[in-house]
Amino acid sequence: VTEFGFALSEQHLTTPIHLALLHYGLPAMREAMVDFLSPALDDPTQAIYFCGPPGGAARLLSYLEQDTGRDLHEEVNNKRIVLGQGDPDADQQLQNLLDPVHELCERGFSLVRVVGPAAWEVEGYSAPEDFLWYESRILPGIEGLPVAIMCTYDAAELPAPALLYGALETHTHTLIHGVLSENPSFLPAERYLRTRLINLPWLNPSDQGRET
Amino acid sequence: MGGEEMGQSALDLQRGGIAVLDSDGNVIWTDDAWAVDDGDGGPTRAPIGTNLLKSYRGHSDPIAQAIANAIVAVFEGKATYFEIEHRTDRESEHSLLTSVSALRGDGAGAVVIHRVVGVSAPPNRHRLVDVRAGERAPSDDGVERLTPREREVLDLMAVGLDNRGIAAKLGIQYSTVRGHVRSVIEKLGARSRLEAVARAYQVGLVPT
Repeated sequence: VTEFGFALSEQHLTTPIHLALLHYGLPAMREAMVDFLSPALDDPTQAIYFCGPPGGAARLLSYLEQDTGRDLHEEVNNKRIVLGQGDPDADQQLQNLLDPVHELCERGFSLVRVVGPAAWEVEGYSAPEDFLWYESRILPGIEGLPVAIMCTYDAAELPAPALLYGALETHTHTLIHGVLSENPSFLPAERYLRTRLINLPWLNPSDQGRET
Repeated sequence: MGGEEMGQSALDLQRGGIAVLDSDGNVIWTDDAWAVDDGDGGPTRAPIGTNLLKSYRGHSDPIAQAIANAIVAVFEGKATYFEIEHRTDRESEHSLLTSVSALRGDGAGAVVIHRVVGVSAPPNRHRLVDVRAGERAPSDDGVERLTPREREVLDLMAVGLDNRGIAAKLGIQYSTVRGHVRSVIEKLGARSRLEAVARAYQVGLVPT
């Protein structure tokens, strides 16, 4: 277990953790990302991993550079900051996250901070239900590791309420309007699949047309 | 194969068999069940060194040709895995599943496996599955066409395991699991992994 904090807010947590940032709009996401990642920029024992849909990781790096006024190319070159690859196959996407994160841990970093934006129906990315499955498999994949993952969900962009439920049910903690909370809605992966995922409205013919 | 209709097959279909081929198509290892046409209409055990590719090429049977094509495709690196499933004869309750997979190691080659499976399939239906290219014959009977191995994979998908977890559970290669998962998704007419799992629950393939 590794304790870690945020830069500005008084948030202290222990790893491993899978955290959902629920926000409205890009500025709120960027502000929270700086709060979450800045401590790693000043601590060479920590690493950062960006993931998300194709091109998403590079965008996050760009935001971080702009918002902190730093040039982070050296950190990228020496692989203390790693840009992940999105993939339309959710299982491959999962391996694309877990493999490098495990590698960073094996290299001895005391903490790996991960940020990834949720995305739906993006070309070259997984179907929404597969994305939620991917989200549910992250925590079992980082068990025992000094890894803190923050997934960002832009509520203004969510195309279906079911996806917001998904965000709440696949993360152990939530960060909403700067308030970090343990998430009572969290469900372990297998239970989430059996009770939620397979019942997503758009996957059930009898539910077609129902509000999602 | 195993009867008049496919009598020029290279295998004793009642037992199934495994053959490992070198990069020229020669048998470098085989189990006891493997046999080739002896020219008199009956199968005999294939000796080491038999060129199985030529044996298949020499048959007019479209299944044998399909297997030969699969072997060549694997040799040429165009695919890593094929499955060809067909009925042994019209009356049989069983079908035959032939898989051709790339042999890993220093040299190129292939592993050809014939298995008799109890899946009820329409007579003489055969299909070719190119896992790497993702091009498959269209599915019209979904669930029934799942192979026993695909059913096992689907069962493990249904408890949420990822491909790596499934590979570990079944003791098979990760890449093989990927191929099975893709095949399951296609056969069930799903657009995604979870849609396939949901469908499996809906039709009672896996217990809720």
